[in-house]
Amino acid sequence: MEKNQLSRRNFLEQSALIGAAGLAGISALSSCSKKTNTVDYEFPPLLDKAPDGEKLRAGLVGCGNRGTGAALNFLAAGNDLEVVALADVFEDKVWDCHSKLEKQMVEVPKNNCFWGFDAYKSLLEVDLDVVILATPPHFRPEHFDAAIQAKKHVFMEKPVSVDPVGSRQIIATSKKAENMGLSVVTGTQRRHQRDYLETYRQVASGAIGEITSAKAWWLQSHVWFRTREEGWTDMEYMLRNWNNFCWLCGDHILDTHVHNIDIINWFVGKQPESAIGFGGRVRRLTGDQYDFFSIDFEFGNGVFSHSMSRQIDGCANTLGELVMGTDGYTNCKNTIFNPDGTVKWQYDYPKNRDGKSTGIVEVSPYVQEHIDLVTAIRTKKPVVEAERTAISTLTAIMGRTAAYTGQKVTWEDMLNSTERLGPEKYDMGDVTMDFPVPLPGTQHKA
Amino acid sequence: MAEKNLKRKHYLTFVIGALTSILFLALSKKGLDYTSTDEFCAACHAHPHADATFKLSIHNSNRSGVSAKCVDCHLPPEDQPVYFLTRKAYHGFHDLYVFLTQNPEEIDWAAKRNDVAAKRFVYEDGCKKCHTNLFPSTLDALGAESHLKYVRNPENNSCIKCHLNVGHYRGEPSLTMEELVLSPEEIFNEPTVVTAFEDFIEQIPGTAVSFNMKAIPGGQFNMGSPADEPYRRPDEGPVREVEVNSFWMAEVEVTWNEYLAFFNATSSQGRTEADTKTDEEVDGISGATPPWGAPDQGWGMGNRPAITMTHHAAETYCRWLSSVTGKKYRLPTEAEWEYAARGGTEGPYFFEGSPKNFERDGLWNKIFGPDTAGINSFVIYNENSPYRTQPPLLVRPNPFGLKNMLGNVAEFCLDYYDPQVYAKYPQGVVKNPRGPREGLEHVIRGGSFKNTPKDLRVARRDFTRTKEWLETDPQIPKSIWWYSDCNHVGFRVICEYDREELNAETTKN
Repeated sequence: MEKNQLSRRNFLEQSALIGAAGLAGISALSSCSKKTNTVDYEFPPLLDKAPDGEKLRAGLVGCGNRGTGAALNFLAAGNDLEVVALADVFEDKVWDCHSKLEKQMVEVPKNNCFWGFDAYKSLLEVDLDVVILATPPHFRPEHFDAAIQAKKHVFMEKPVSVDPVGSRQIIATSKKAENMGLSVVTGTQRRHQRDYLETYRQVASGAIGEITSAKAWWLQSHVWFRTREEGWTDMEYMLRNWNNFCWLCGDHILDTHVHNIDIINWFVGKQPESAIGFGGRVRRLTGDQYDFFSIDFEFGNGVFSHSMSRQIDGCANTLGELVMGTDGYTNCKNTIFNPDGTVKWQYDYPKNRDGKSTGIVEVSPYVQEHIDLVTAIRTKKPVVEAERTAISTLTAIMGRTAAYTGQKVTWEDMLNSTERLGPEKYDMGDVTMDFPVPLPGTQHKA
Repeated sequence: MAEKNLKRKHYLTFVIGALTSILFLALSKKGLDYTSTDEFCAACHAHPHADATFKLSIHNSNRSGVSAKCVDCHLPPEDQPVYFLTRKAYHGFHDLYVFLTQNPEEIDWAAKRNDVAAKRFVYEDGCKKCHTNLFPSTLDALGAESHLKYVRNPENNSCIKCHLNVGHYRGEPSLTMEELVLSPEEIFNEPTVVTAFEDFIEQIPGTAVSFNMKAIPGGQFNMGSPADEPYRRPDEGPVREVEVNSFWMAEVEVTWNEYLAFFNATSSQGRTEADTKTDEEVDGISGATPPWGAPDQGWGMGNRPAITMTHHAAETYCRWLSSVTGKKYRLPTEAEWEYAARGGTEGPYFFEGSPKNFERDGLWNKIFGPDTAGINSFVIYNENSPYRTQPPLLVRPNPFGLKNMLGNVAEFCLDYYDPQVYAKYPQGVVKNPRGPREGLEHVIRGGSFKNTPKDLRVARRDFTRTKEWLETDPQIPKSIWWYSDCNHVGFRVICEYDREELNAETTKN
């Protein structure tokens, strides 16, 4: 199996080379010939609704707002879909989610509700087909492997880990899932968004020529945080404020910016070879993370991507991606531009009653990803997205490491790094951990 | 009619040929099968422990009831017929030969039980023929890491590297994985104490930096190059008999790690001091100003030789190093440098070969390219690193164990430069000669990554060009610490050896 995969990959690389050579030859012969490459990408089926079929019972691990949302997105994907079990580290989160689902007429049996660090193990003993993993990303590698060992299909949120050890564990578990014929969809919803996919199809067939550079940015105001309440132990405080601790969240270059990084990796067709970058902490109130990053990812052959992420109020805040090519550029989402800035192609969004473009895709990408998961399961055409999302997550970790240390960090470093964040054992008590804000380089002499 | 007979004859030949082939194949298949049974192997393999340990191993004694055969692991799979047959023949004859000529009691079986030795008779493809799934669902995290590493780089990993004892039970845990231990860098508190005239590793106190010092026994040599040496320059003669005392010399040019230890300990905030004079009496050594730009030229620091520091900075480094180690470090004199670089040799280089053959010069070499095999492994120079310095340990050492004397970066010497100095030395054998008392530019010796072979010769002399090397420095006055326009010169330290002082120290301790 493994051998076949490898040889297939080699074959693809070779055919890509031949394709590129052929293309160069053609354009040398006739400069006005239109460039079209064949697009080698497994597009999701993108149905409006999953096909009917066997009943699928899902359990949710991580009952926060995204978890609850993901459970509802799953239920909206088609017929005969059920959410029958809930697990979270905190009891109040479980019942909070339970009552939110109840309001949507979803009744989860109370004896299928579990809490504590091991709640996911109890949940996996329930008769389930699908597991939704939406805890803070620190726990994802462990939960994912347990779910695959329990032979469940998985939907899991991005990022898929917070450290290189975790990313590699996801890649290994991903290979297990492939060998077992299970389906795994990750919450990189842009890859299930019709406008992005059509734009990718354009770019992959040569609409902007050869890619020469890229830019990705997620610049926003500060995100949620929790100040410590009386009676909370260290662990409880960190878990309730997880988005601000690196060992739980991975910092926002993973948490949010991984979406943009994933798009660049997708469009460029590979992950970067190395990263140099910087970041810092100037406005945050809690935790140990940075609030800005600026990373230069090097893809080799003179191709670079500038990655910016920031969470500071009152700044020039926008987000998006841009990929430059020899024959034009694209915002990756819906438009191809000519080199002079005129529009070459635009995604055709559905129109409203006045015949104007709505600017949004028909099916919400957050539902679409579950439709694609259920379709993969019911049509017996397994899809496993975990490895590529782990690679994008590890790319973000490479950028984070470059900023935290001030060093040039290579992909090889990431593949060999023994960095594992967080405590060895999970216990709701107080923790003896230090949380120094990372300082790049060394102090110079006064 | 005759034609028909002929055809029939052909037909007959063909049928007989085909039948023979089939018979041969069937027989040889049988033969192959027979010689691949465990019983057949055991018939010769008289070491009974092989059979016994196999029977206890997981490849025989397991829950599945499947048992492997000797040939499953000890021969390549049959679906690679040529490789299979040649290896089978090789092992057959090899084992038969050993069986007939050697006493099994005397064979060191234990020496064969490691992953490197075992590669000669355990076939990876055999493992993979049965174990097709490297990621079974129950694989744990450590296993997953190891298998990913294997998939990424199968050449440098192997199944038996971790699963060494799975075929023959040794009563040990079946996994022989290396534990990853990351030891934090040791910070040295004290410099190295030297008690005898021999090689030592100097430790810079307060840092994790250390470097090798080679003991260079003093002696007499011919300094300079004979008039008939190709590409010789007039300042390389006349050849003089010179004697130098014993000293230690650093194995490699001062690295960035070493130089930054100095810089971090002594650097000043910026330029306040106007005079360039150094005061030997002052306790604290005031070191370099922070550089503009990237003094390593973006080539990387670490163990690469430090560059772009001025001769003054290099001398200050030596004074600082002496003060933190309690030893007498300084730049080498020109004579010490050449003595050390020659390492007892007398030719143009300390290795075999003539610059005429190495230089891309003359009709033959211009057309066919020079034969650089001899020089390539000893020197970092224009041909093998045209644009930048290289980590120092790549090259082979000279007879004294010194590396990069002739290449990578050129090296500052203590002496001022005088093109006629050899002729000015006193008559007879010159002891520890020094250059002129006063001067403007200092001697530099040894070629660099920029030079071609003719300028890598041991006897070749060169000198600093202070004005030229500060040409683009936009400050007034220009820096006394950093050259703006010289990136091919570094330096190497020597440590003075005083027999009596060393003996006194030793007895005192």
